Amino acid sequence: MHWGMVIDLRRCVGCHACTVACQIENNLPLGETWNKVLTVGPEGDFPLLVSHFFPRPCMHCEDAPCVDGCPTGASQKRPDGIIIVDGERCIGCKFCMLVCPYGVRQFEADKGIVQKCHLCYERLEQGEMPRCVETCQLKARHVGDLDDPGSEVAALLKQANARPLYPHLGTKPSVYYIFP
Amino acid sequence: MAGTIEVKKAACYFCHMNCGMLVHVEDGVVKKVTGDPEHPFNQGAQCPRGAAAMDHLNHINRVNYPLKRVGERGEGKFKRVSWEEALEDIATRLKKYKEEYGAESIATAGGTNRTDDWARRRFFNLLGSPNVVHTSPVCWIPNFLIETAIYGWSAFDPEIMGSRCVVVWGHNPGASYLPEMRGLLEARENNGTKIIVIDPRYSETAARADIWLPIRPGSDCALALAWLNVIINEELYDADFVENWTVGFEELRERVQEYTPEWAAEKTWVPAEKIAMAARTYATSRPACIQWGVATDQLGRATSAVAQARAVLRAICGNLDVPGGDVMPGPHPTFITDVEMELNELLPEEQRAKQLGADRFKLSTWPGYKLLNEQLERVWGKGLPAEWMCEASPPVLWRAILTGKPYPVKALIVLADNPLTSYANSRLVYEALSKLDLLVVMDYWLTPTALMADYVLPAASWLERPVLTTTYGVSDWLIASERAVQPLYERKTDYDFWRALGIKMGQEEYWPWLTNEEVFQYRLEALGYGLETYEDFVQGVRFDFAPREYYKYVEKGFATPSGKVELKSSILETLGYDPLPHYVEPPFSPEATPELARDYPLILIAGGGFMPFYHSEHRQITRLRLLHPQPRVAINPELAQKLGIKEGDWVWIETPKGKVKQRAKITTAIPPGVVQAERGWWYPEKGAGELFGVWESNINACLDDDPDTCDPACGSWCTRSVLCRIAKVEG
Repeated sequence: MHWGMVIDLRRCVGCHACTVACQIENNLPLGETWNKVLTVGPEGDFPLLVSHFFPRPCMHCEDAPCVDGCPTGASQKRPDGIIIVDGERCIGCKFCMLVCPYGVRQFEADKGIVQKCHLCYERLEQGEMPRCVETCQLKARHVGDLDDPGSEVAALLKQANARPLYPHLGTKPSVYYIFP
Repeated sequence: MAGTIEVKKAACYFCHMNCGMLVHVEDGVVKKVTGDPEHPFNQGAQCPRGAAAMDHLNHINRVNYPLKRVGERGEGKFKRVSWEEALEDIATRLKKYKEEYGAESIATAGGTNRTDDWARRRFFNLLGSPNVVHTSPVCWIPNFLIETAIYGWSAFDPEIMGSRCVVVWGHNPGASYLPEMRGLLEARENNGTKIIVIDPRYSETAARADIWLPIRPGSDCALALAWLNVIINEELYDADFVENWTVGFEELRERVQEYTPEWAAEKTWVPAEKIAMAARTYATSRPACIQWGVATDQLGRATSAVAQARAVLRAICGNLDVPGGDVMPGPHPTFITDVEMELNELLPEEQRAKQLGADRFKLSTWPGYKLLNEQLERVWGKGLPAEWMCEASPPVLWRAILTGKPYPVKALIVLADNPLTSYANSRLVYEALSKLDLLVVMDYWLTPTALMADYVLPAASWLERPVLTTTYGVSDWLIASERAVQPLYERKTDYDFWRALGIKMGQEEYWPWLTNEEVFQYRLEALGYGLETYEDFVQGVRFDFAPREYYKYVEKGFATPSGKVELKSSILETLGYDPLPHYVEPPFSPEATPELARDYPLILIAGGGFMPFYHSEHRQITRLRLLHPQPRVAINPELAQKLGIKEGDWVWIETPKGKVKQRAKITTAIPPGVVQAERGWWYPEKGAGELFGVWESNINACLDDDPDTCDPACGSWCTRSVLCRIAKVEG
């Protein structure tokens, strides 16, 4: 079992519903986001333009620098591939924030710890989709078992232009994008 | 009962879409709001507003009790009063105005579909005043009415999933109607549907287009006419349909000869060959549909001309009421629709004649409404609701309040509307509101308009009220949704308000239904499901979609005087308008007003939806505001460089009407000669003393609504092509 996500950038319109739903689901303080959506472009000269939006959750890397670099073992990889932070063990040293090449980790000042997207693993365990997947009006996000060749995510990965962000870094993300 | 957990099937009112929501209620308290997977529109999803619904329900700034003004008008000083005291005083004063000045001295302004508008019209018809307004002249109604004049209903239900080509014209579902955007992209993925987007700006939707036509703002009419020229001269139209089901084709052919693609290229800034190519794509990819978009309802005097040319395009290309085309749903046959609830027949002829603006904007007021409904009732069995489709003109209303001409207007009741940010010429609107004897505002919040009121009444939001989605009663389907909880504090629904005020005014016999649920149940009974309560209907049926029928005209004919599609419209001709498609330049442009263009050289687009807000709403929901804290004006880098403006700078946007500031968003999404400002901005966090900062960034303060610049048929004012200049805010 290896949970993964495929985000179809041809679909995303940058509405930020996932950002907001994630904040509410995880009871985040106002202003903290685990699920930013970045705007790319438009690039070019009017009217020859390209642009897209780029949702950026935790990549849940197989070779996760944040797990390797955590001095207390707070950052952990679960057997199902999801990277979580054990808040009890985190000392707020922020080293993981330095080594994460995707910038997805957030320091929670009031608690003095680092947190981030955990793929709503509790919902997954109950057979529910992560909240960001559920709320997406454009159905740009898909979640499933990357190990199961019959899964929807496996089928999507066969499409052209499906690849993770910065594959050359060797972190082996579990989040893939279908680029426009 | 302790520990009760219920899941209520509600409908969101944070935009028109009315997405289905599941509301998890524990012991009468809303705990969670998620999308309803069974709902056909959102299919379990939410937009950011829907996801943040609980912030809205429980917001500390919601108006929870009736408030009465105790300070000067606009000062923002109120005291809490009881509903009884408020209604008694309002009713007493309304009776006095009616007695002294006539019922027409009482008017009402409504907002976008958070209300049961038929109840408002019922009250006003019983009162005897024709002066009911919305922003209808700039939202859908011009297109609806022109289409109805030409082919007897609006073909507003495009069947995208079966279409080979969809034209998205002046519409950006990628930032407004997200379920529609999903439908578009799925149609292309599944069926190879071509998407043509017509928009001056590289919008979220244009970025996904197969063909994007970046026209000069406001030049839509030229493009539509050039398409007609190409399609007719290259004989790409549906000859059988034209021969059997239209009148006026030869005159149309003759008329469009002058509108060549080369002529249109000059007007639209789009190369002639590209115009022709797009026309061919549309005409030869049958079935095709043209989606409605609000932008072309906001072109001032050019508005109905665009709708007219586009209606004719749909017809001659054989796309009317065909599978995968522009389907004309017609009214629901058995459900009691809005028009059947309005009691329009009780408004005397002499009061109809007093409707403000009816002497000049004839299609959108009683003269046009009467002509249209005669045809519609003959063919469909029922007509259009008077709400939205037959209204007084807002610009004429403001001027009547100010001048007392043609007669005094003393009182205004505003619901779900914030006229200070939502109508053009905000300073004039402000002066008009200041001059009223009585202003009543029913809203969720103290808005800038509510600050001006004598009474502010607390409105229940969609979690606190049932919602019956019927597209204003012009569709053949409906969706019923229930309240999640009873209204909190002393909030009420608009139905409760009109009923209670109606009873005070002596209308008791016309308001037999105690609650929204009772009246909805009454309207649904004739559907024959045999259910005893409205809640049973929601739980057991909820969706009532009439079986889809196409080619309905074969049996019924079109609901026009000739029974055919009138390419040359006899109804428009009777009302004194050009019956054939023709070119109209919007009122403010380098071509229309070259002298103005010397001082104000840039074309301003004042509007366009953007996430996470809807109209002027949601600025006080902190979670959403953090995503988009301040207003932004889009400026091309070339222009910005010339003016020394950098990303994020405050920029003055100035027209002869006024100036406001927004922050620079430097982007190539817009060409150098054009800027686009966001609409609806006010700052709930600023004090009442400054009217919540309504003069700082509210772009409507820069727009003109002079009736002479408005659309002659429907009274639309111009927001999408305005002349302006910009400068960096110094200091």
